[in-house]
Amino acid sequence: MAIKTQPVTDSVPKINDEVAVGEDLQFQRRWWAFERWIWMLFALLVLLDLLGAFGRGPLAKKHAEAADGSMKVDYERIERFSTPSILTVSFGKQAIRDGKIQLWVSESLVKKLGNQRIVPQPAASSIGNNGILYTFPASDVPATAEFALSPASPGSAELQMQVPGSSVITLKVFIVP
Amino acid sequence: MYTSPHAIFGYLFLTLTVRVLARRPGAQMTAFEFVLVFLIGGVIILSTVGDDPSMTNCFGAVLAIVLMHRLVTFFKVKSKRFSEIVDGRPVVLLKDGQWQSDLMAQLRLQDTDVMASARTKGIPKLKDIKYAILERNGAISILKDKK
Repeated sequence: MAIKTQPVTDSVPKINDEVAVGEDLQFQRRWWAFERWIWMLFALLVLLDLLGAFGRGPLAKKHAEAADGSMKVDYERIERFSTPSILTVSFGKQAIRDGKIQLWVSESLVKKLGNQRIVPQPAASSIGNNGILYTFPASDVPATAEFALSPASPGSAELQMQVPGSSVITLKVFIVP
Repeated sequence: MYTSPHAIFGYLFLTLTVRVLARRPGAQMTAFEFVLVFLIGGVIILSTVGDDPSMTNCFGAVLAIVLMHRLVTFFKVKSKRFSEIVDGRPVVLLKDGQWQSDLMAQLRLQDTDVMASARTKGIPKLKDIKYAILERNGAISILKDKK
């Protein structure tokens, strides 16, 4: 089979009508203008990252309190996919009943936020009502429990927490990829 | 599950970053630019493979990157404009004994970079160069003044 051929033409633009370079300064200047925008975008992204707009910074940290003071939660409203973080729950005096604290959390704690472990370990946990009820032995305040999270998938998540009989806290968390 | 999208995003992001960085990483790398290439590559590997270093996962990432490269190459051949965007166009740095100063500044190149290329062609003086051209691959071509 014959090889397909085509005649050579002077298709590459020349400089000084002697060297075929193919320079296109109009394109080049447009590209440099585009580059300047991209560098500004990169600088903005780095600044936002330093501030924590993509998690792990001051903008990402949030504090929430139950209306009746039964608990306070320090968490990251912007989480990163598969990256460890800590959610801290500080209980109020009224959360301690009969030497123990009970805490109900919605199932998104495990399913979306990927709870890995709880410190201290709860003495008991039971499932039901679309969530988990943890029981911690407790004597007096300050009493805190820490949840080590590692979000399982990107997207938004809503976490609800409640000391039974007290007001509910709803936390909105966005997980970046 | 996330490996292929991560690899494809990593490929596109790296292509854009290296393209806007300057053309120098393509050729004539100094030690300082070498560090950059290693560091960027290492960081992208972390986000691509994540905590799953299994052969299946790594092969998946490699296949996704190879496929992307094949696609980009295909479109480069099909479209001249796309090829210009990905690879750029040659730029004349020195013409008839005149530095194209504003272009050199934009490209962050110095006369020593041109002279380094000239020496590899056996040209010892800048005055002997008629044209110096920054090629699409980052190399600097030197054409000698025949006078």
